[in-house]
Amino acid sequence: MTKDDRKHYIPDKVEYGEKHPDKFRGDVEEDGFHFCGYDYDSEEEQFKVYLHYDQLYYWKYAELSKMGKGLLDGEIWGTKCPECGDKFFPPRVNCWNLDCNLEKTEWIKLKPEGYVHTYTIAGWSGRSSLKRLPFVLAYVVVDGCKTAVANELRGIDPWNAEFEMPVKVVWADKEDRRGTITDFHFEPADDWEPSGMNPEKERMKELCEPVYEWVKSMK
Amino acid sequence: MTRKVCISGGATTPFDYPLHATPESMIANCIVETQEDIPNFTLRDLEFMVYSHFSVHFGKQLCPEWIVHDHLGLVGLPHFRVENGGNTGGSALYAAFLAVKSGLFDVVGVAGWETMDNVTQSQGSEFIALASDTRYEALAGGIYPIYYAAMAYKFMKEHGLTEEDFALAGMKNRTYACDNPKAQWARNENKKITVDDVMNSRLISYPLKKYDCCLMSRGGSFALVTSEEWAKENADGKYVTIDGAGLSSCTIRAGDRLAFPGWTEMYGEGYPDMTEFGACRKSGEDAYDMAGIEYDRAAKEIDVAEIHDAFSSSETQIYKALHWCDKDNIKDFVRNKRTFMEGDLPVNPGGGLMGFGHPVGATGIMSAIECYYQLTDMIPDKHHSSDTYVRDAETGLVNSHAGTGTSISNFILRRP
Repeated sequence: MTKDDRKHYIPDKVEYGEKHPDKFRGDVEEDGFHFCGYDYDSEEEQFKVYLHYDQLYYWKYAELSKMGKGLLDGEIWGTKCPECGDKFFPPRVNCWNLDCNLEKTEWIKLKPEGYVHTYTIAGWSGRSSLKRLPFVLAYVVVDGCKTAVANELRGIDPWNAEFEMPVKVVWADKEDRRGTITDFHFEPADDWEPSGMNPEKERMKELCEPVYEWVKSMK
Repeated sequence: MTRKVCISGGATTPFDYPLHATPESMIANCIVETQEDIPNFTLRDLEFMVYSHFSVHFGKQLCPEWIVHDHLGLVGLPHFRVENGGNTGGSALYAAFLAVKSGLFDVVGVAGWETMDNVTQSQGSEFIALASDTRYEALAGGIYPIYYAAMAYKFMKEHGLTEEDFALAGMKNRTYACDNPKAQWARNENKKITVDDVMNSRLISYPLKKYDCCLMSRGGSFALVTSEEWAKENADGKYVTIDGAGLSSCTIRAGDRLAFPGWTEMYGEGYPDMTEFGACRKSGEDAYDMAGIEYDRAAKEIDVAEIHDAFSSSETQIYKALHWCDKDNIKDFVRNKRTFMEGDLPVNPGGGLMGFGHPVGATGIMSAIECYYQLTDMIPDKHHSSDTYVRDAETGLVNSHAGTGTSISNFILRRP
């Protein structure tokens, strides 16, 4: 297909025969910016270098600090615009309404309850979440807010979740809290009962089965 | 402003995972291929470069565009990089459009790439999720397929659609990709699939299965954006005009768009909820306005489209956002296969993100180049056959899409 000598040849298949037997390969540790190993394919002359993956970061909550401290204490703090009254969780530190002209919002303690606006059953996720699969991620409107927040919905078979279902906030053990969104999750409200099985739920259950099996097989 | 802006050439590398090529060689290959089609074009013609690259995480390199720019020998030439999530390519094209439209430059290069095969797919999913609100959504285990699935499930319910309706797009785009030698699906699996294959593929996030989702890729793409004068003189018969361009935005968190005051003002109470791509509707309307297309005639006037099908559901949702159908007839629109080759508005004959692949920074440019090939009758040369060639197409639409619909651009391309 190459018509022009200036074009770089791109091999279809590369087989790395020579591998640096470095202990960091595939097992990531925080070690600063450095190289962990290499692979080399002598036939195609292809060289690959491994770099470290993890980096240490922090978030400064700054104006959102009240929310972070609230999560540690088992309280949901959102914000409210004193002009138009719109309520937000996750908190917005200025109002979104252009007519309010960046009015600074006020902190309000929200009731730890809400309803599911929409949701999905996750059967695949990022590296750090694979072992929790399958889980329900629900967008929940907390205590009359104008926005919904995404978080895990537990305490339920995934296929039993429903639109509009009432939910409550359930806190992690105090010693496990970090001042982050994962300090709590949602569970069905106490008086809520799932409706019976139907073909759609059967389909969801069927899709979940291999995910349960796959997670069990993970090291 | 009467000055017209054109796409006067361009090319794409193969998209693959893995692909063994550096960003600089990918862009060099694309420029050489562009010169095969447009022999008059030389590097000395370039006046401005816009680089399209999403995530420096994949290359562990800040400002990687500096490496590519000096590799091309373009010292002294102004350049900048655009980063706008999945809409990086579309946004870079928009920047080049503005640069030529303004009269400041006549010849602008747009070069994009992504090297996503530097990490595993679950690591890659996490890297991309760093473009969601990490403080809330990514930390709770969310990645983009999950956010899209939550939006798609509600859209599906509210419009009476089924998983099979979404699966049609997954089947269509992968099948068309088999006709495209550069498509990742053709380079790997290379099989035409059925709706059942989509339905039986593994759960990613309900209602999305593996074959409802795009392909993580490595690849590069290049587009030459010029004045009409340059195009006529140097690319006669091989250029298209950009008659409409729109770029719009929505919230980073999908959960924030239940009653966003800006949308409420424009489109009424409750819009866009979490089911509509408001930024697609708005940027589409802006592009239609510029090109003189009435919204309710859009489906009739557009002959071919390359749509950002990160997920089969999002392609389907975009049909509605672009005014091709409405809540009442979307089911018929999908089930009558109007977006298939045999329909009146073929979508993603190049394979789209689900078939060609999705190396984010290159993707929007790839879509524009596929559409450009259609409107300049170059498809038979570029694809394996004429099966995915939309004959006599006069008007094309290119769509690029980021976040959970957080930034979306649309372009109307026309045969001059």
